[in-house]
Amino acid sequence: MSRESRAAVARSERLDRLTVGGIGALAAAAGAAALVVSAGWLGRPRASRPLADPIALQWLQAHQPWAQVGALVVGVLLVLFGLWLASRTLRPEPRPDLVLEDDAETAGGLRVTAQAIAEAIRADAESVSGVAEARARVVRVNDTPALRLQLRLRHGADVHAVWSELDKRVLTRARESLGVPAIPTAIRLELGSAQRQRVK
Amino acid sequence: MRLLIRMLALALGLAITMTGAVVLAGVGWAMAQPTRGALPPWPRWLARAEELAWTANTIRVTACVLVAAGLAMLLLAALAGRHDVYLQDPAPDVTVTTSPRSLARIVGQRVRGTDGVRSASVTASARSVRVRATSRLLDERRLRPVLIEQVNELVNELPLARVPHVHVVVHSAKDKP
Repeated sequence: MSRESRAAVARSERLDRLTVGGIGALAAAAGAAALVVSAGWLGRPRASRPLADPIALQWLQAHQPWAQVGALVVGVLLVLFGLWLASRTLRPEPRPDLVLEDDAETAGGLRVTAQAIAEAIRADAESVSGVAEARARVVRVNDTPALRLQLRLRHGADVHAVWSELDKRVLTRARESLGVPAIPTAIRLELGSAQRQRVK
Repeated sequence: MRLLIRMLALALGLAITMTGAVVLAGVGWAMAQPTRGALPPWPRWLARAEELAWTANTIRVTACVLVAAGLAMLLLAALAGRHDVYLQDPAPDVTVTTSPRSLARIVGQRVRGTDGVRSASVTASARSVRVRATSRLLDERRLRPVLIEQVNELVNELPLARVPHVHVVVHSAKDKP
């Protein structure tokens, strides 16, 4: 199992999970710290002092220019990080085109669009016996194009037979026609689903 | 779950941006126009913070809410992983997966097709397949080995990367006193 093909199984959610988990951990830690202070575990006098501590305020007054610059820097960092995070979650998954011959001089070359590849492979995969429905998509994994195939198998289809036919016919043909030695491929199988009734 | 965590990440991103913008506006205004009061109502916030002691109920409630929300977010992030069932790789650069739901569906079809089974429910993961079957005609002692064999056969037929443990529970009308 190559790492590329494994990464192509689904869009990565690592960033979303890391941010939500990290911010959750920070929030829980801050809340717990406030509770500790409030309960008087750091000393009764500490607990009865106001939230905006006079000593801290005095210190900030004494170092006002530096405090202001520090606050500005923190503000800029917060805005940048927030915008980056929001744009990362909103950005759709990239579908890279395949560049077969890059000709920089004439600004030409041969480029196969992601939709064209996906459509050709989808049609090919649907012709395999035992496959009821196929969906294909070109995704980017570690800056190389990879393939994600979703196959709905007919009831009682032999998974071994579907695999070998898929590998021999569909994937080999895709590799040959695109002229690449290997395309990392992730296949998602849906087994045993009911035949979809088509209304005529 | 996946959508929820993405929406949450988006909301957090926007909230962080807003906080940063408020800080920038406030400090920037205070630096540019030191004499003309603050843009966000800093003095009012500060006065309120000077009144509140750490023992105030407001602080305690806020802290509790913060802890609860943080733990909920941690839990959500931990649970949002993928639960794909991996199959053996047919070729070096090909990965094949299926969903736990698909696996449960075909196991359920096989179990329901077995003689004597009235109804069945199946839950599946990469590690285990759990079957609960009910029967009116056969008692547990006779039906359970048959079902275990059937499901094991099916699971071994599929080229799964890891063969799951099969657990079968049979509820039979015959076993009732």
